[in-house]
Amino acid sequence: MYKRTFIFDPGYYKFVGSWAWILHRLSGLGLIFYLSLHIWVINSLTMGEESFTRVTTFLNSPVFKILEVGLWGIIMFHAFNGVRIVFVDFFKGSLFHKKLFFAMISIAFVLWAIGSYLLLSHISW
Amino acid sequence: MAKVKLNVKVLRYNPDTDKKPYWKTYELETEDDVTILDVLNEIHWNIDGTLAYRRSCRSAICGSCAMKVNGRNVLACETGLHQFNSHKLKIEPLPGFKIIKDLVVDLDEFFAKLERILPYLILKKPTPDKEFLQSPQDFDKIQEAAMCILCGSCTSSCPSLWANEDYLGPAALLKAYRFIFDSRDDGTDERLDIINDRNGIWRCHTIFNCMEACPKDIKITEYLSRLKVKATENSI
Repeated sequence: MYKRTFIFDPGYYKFVGSWAWILHRLSGLGLIFYLSLHIWVINSLTMGEESFTRVTTFLNSPVFKILEVGLWGIIMFHAFNGVRIVFVDFFKGSLFHKKLFFAMISIAFVLWAIGSYLLLSHISW
Repeated sequence: MAKVKLNVKVLRYNPDTDKKPYWKTYELETEDDVTILDVLNEIHWNIDGTLAYRRSCRSAICGSCAMKVNGRNVLACETGLHQFNSHKLKIEPLPGFKIIKDLVVDLDEFFAKLERILPYLILKKPTPDKEFLQSPQDFDKIQEAAMCILCGSCTSSCPSLWANEDYLGPAALLKAYRFIFDSRDDGTDERLDIINDRNGIWRCHTIFNCMEACPKDIKITEYLSRLKVKATENSI
């Protein structure tokens, strides 16, 4: 008997459910990475004002602005796909999960666009 | 009806001679209104008699001929050529299961998992003298789940199963749903103990491949979600 291994079976990744699942996992990993970075930044506070200022100046570079826009996108996707999963688990969302996915993605996209505009135009709340 | 030329790629594997499965291409001409099973029969009867595959009822009720055609698990007997845009077919055994030969997969583990969830009516109350009545409303809860023909399409399409062979899989869990939500059954606690496990219901990550694969269009993920709610309620 022969056992085929499937880490990535392209056949089944043309469906919405699979993509939602993969992107949810990847965005989750992205958030873990961000959290580590966040802890590192906060940690610099314990080493005095000078150290914190140095870190925040570094983080104010344009590269990090772009990364922040990406982070905001990841958060929006993960949050709204999370809402979709809650619907699937508790409110019969399985019966309309594809429509639900596109609805949630649309909301996430609009909020991402607004947030990105605010981030890039240096407006703070 | 018209004749069409087909290009059929089949994943072949002979345990006696091959180390690994390989693709073999067949060129043939058939009518355009045939099914995938007809195409396989044509190959088996007239071109290459060594091709192995399971078939039995050819009425989409026995579940023997489940296989993966052009990227999706289907029953070969009910899938017509017209459902595909091209005349190129790519036929392979169900993914996730061990291949015995060509398109024939090993279903022993699949049925062992089914047995684990106690797939029969468990009665603790006295058996009624006459018919065991059930209201139409109660029957509606399990009607669709009871239509499962155990072809294995859902379980073999599940990425959770590809990653972890011990996962019970959608088919067994659907069967658990069918009995747990049966108003006549008294085995809910035993079954919930079995599925409320690290290799049970919680390995379902609502990826929905099972619903894409199911030839009977059963809303498997929806029933698994209800099972999750039931398992949670029961453990509180």
